[in-house]
Amino acid sequence: MYPEEKTGIVGWGSYIPRWRLSLKEIAEVWGFNPEQPEELGVSEKSVAGVDEDAVTMGIEAARNALMRAGINPKEIGAVWFGTESKPYAVKPSATIVAEAIGATPYSMATDWEFACRAASEAIRASIGAVASGLIKYALVVGSDTAQANPGDVLEFTASSAATALIIGSREESAAYFEASATYVTDTPDFWRRDHSKYPLHGEAFTGEPAYFKHIVGSVKTLLEKTGLKPEDFDYAVFHQPNGTFPLRVARMLGFPREKVTPGLITPYIGNSYNSSALIGLARVLEIAKPGQRILLAPFGSGAGSDAYSIVVTDKVEERKHRAPIVDDYLKRKYTVSYSLYAKYRGLVYRVE
Amino acid sequence: MRISIPPSWRTRVYRYRLVATKCKKCGVTLYPPSNICRHCGSREVDQVELANEKARLITWTVIYSTMEGFEKQRPLIIGIVETTESKARILAPLTDVLPGELKPGMIMEPVIRRIREEGEAGLVHYGVAFRPELTTSALNTS
Repeated sequence: MYPEEKTGIVGWGSYIPRWRLSLKEIAEVWGFNPEQPEELGVSEKSVAGVDEDAVTMGIEAARNALMRAGINPKEIGAVWFGTESKPYAVKPSATIVAEAIGATPYSMATDWEFACRAASEAIRASIGAVASGLIKYALVVGSDTAQANPGDVLEFTASSAATALIIGSREESAAYFEASATYVTDTPDFWRRDHSKYPLHGEAFTGEPAYFKHIVGSVKTLLEKTGLKPEDFDYAVFHQPNGTFPLRVARMLGFPREKVTPGLITPYIGNSYNSSALIGLARVLEIAKPGQRILLAPFGSGAGSDAYSIVVTDKVEERKHRAPIVDDYLKRKYTVSYSLYAKYRGLVYRVE
Repeated sequence: MRISIPPSWRTRVYRYRLVATKCKKCGVTLYPPSNICRHCGSREVDQVELANEKARLITWTVIYSTMEGFEKQRPLIIGIVETTESKARILAPLTDVLPGELKPGMIMEPVIRRIREEGEAGLVHYGVAFRPELTTSALNTS
C-alpha cells in the first residue's frame, strides 16, 4: 500500500474572474499573425479585475473548497499557497488566505515557489503530512495572475484563475490518491529574475526538453510504479499552457483525445499557471462518476512534473453541489478591451 | 495614500470574514461591529459572521471623481446592501459589475478584494466588496 492511498481530496473549489480578453485583439494590437490564436487553440483569456490578485482569487477558491469539504477550518493544519504572482515579494500570501478562511493561528502557512508547479508539489507534501498523521487536513491553493511582457507571445495565454484542494483522510474524500510520482531536472525553459517585472523564456525550448520531457517522465514513472495503463484511466488532465500541448503529450503517452478534453479549460480562459492543471481536475471532479480514475499531471518550468492517480468515490456527487462549479465561472464572462486589460493588469505605467 | 498599519491590522478579521455584532436585546445586526448597539444602546452583543449570507442591493452611487489612491478603480461604485437573513445594512464597494447592470433589489454576495494600496511598495489593504451573485442571469455576457 502506498502512503498516498490513506489520503484524498475532501473538498475542491475554483475561481475565474469575470473579465475576458479576446486573443484576436492581442494579435491585432501587437501585429501578430491573425491565425496565431487558432494555432494555440485558445480563443479568450481570463483577466483579473483591478481589485483582484492571486490572494483574493485564492480566497474565493479556498472558500468554495471549504464549502464542499464541510469541515471546521480550525482543523486545517497547513495552508500552502502555490503562485508565481505573489502580491508581496516578502510577506506570505498564505497567512492572508488562512486568516480569511478562519484557519489561524495554529496552521502552518507558506507560499511555495516552482513556476506553475508550486501548488502541485504542495499536494504531494500534503499527502505526506496527512498520511503521517502530522496534520488532519491541508489546504493547497494554486492561484496566479500570470504576468507576460506586453507583445511577448506569452501574453496570448497568461491568464488569471485559482483552484484549491482540501486534502484529508481517504475515508472522508470525494476522490482518493492511489499513487504519485515526480520528475524534476534543472532546465532553463522559463524564468524571472529578482526585480524583473516579466518572465523570459526559451521560445521553442519550452516544448520538447521542458513540458514534454518532464510530463512524460512523471507519468511513465507513475505507470511503471503502479502497473496501470492509459486504458485504466477515464480522464487525463495535464498542465495546459495552450490548447494543443496537452493533446500532444496525451498522444505521446497513449491517452485518447476524449479523455483529455473534459478537463481542458485553457481554450476558454488561457493558462492560469498554478491553477492550470488543477482547474482541469476540478472540472473533471464535477462530471466524474464514482469509481472512475483520473490522471493528473501538472508541470512547472525550471522544470518538473508530478503525476497522480486519483480514484473518484461515491461522495463526489453530493459534494459537487455544495459550491459553484467551474462551468458557473466559465459562463460568467464579459469581454473587455485591450486598454482596460492593460489598466487592470498594471501594464500602463502610472506615477503614484 | 498612506495606510495606517494598526487599524488595518486590528480590523482584518472583521473585513475578511464579515464579522458583525448582533444585539442580544433588540436583535439588530451591525456592520462594522460595535460593542454598543447603536439601535437600543445595549452593551450585550454577540459576534456573528455574515460571509456566507447573500444580500439585497438597496442603493448605490457611481463615483467619477475619486480621492487620491483610487484612480485605478474609477468609476468606483459604492453601494448599500442589506443581508438577507440578519438584515444588516452594509456600505461597501460593488465589484465585477458595470454601472448599467445594477438594479435595486439585485442579489449580491460578499467577496474579498483589494480595497486600497499604498503605492507600488506599500501595504495592500484587503476588505469586503459585494458582487452580483455568481449564477445570476442579470448580467451582460459577451
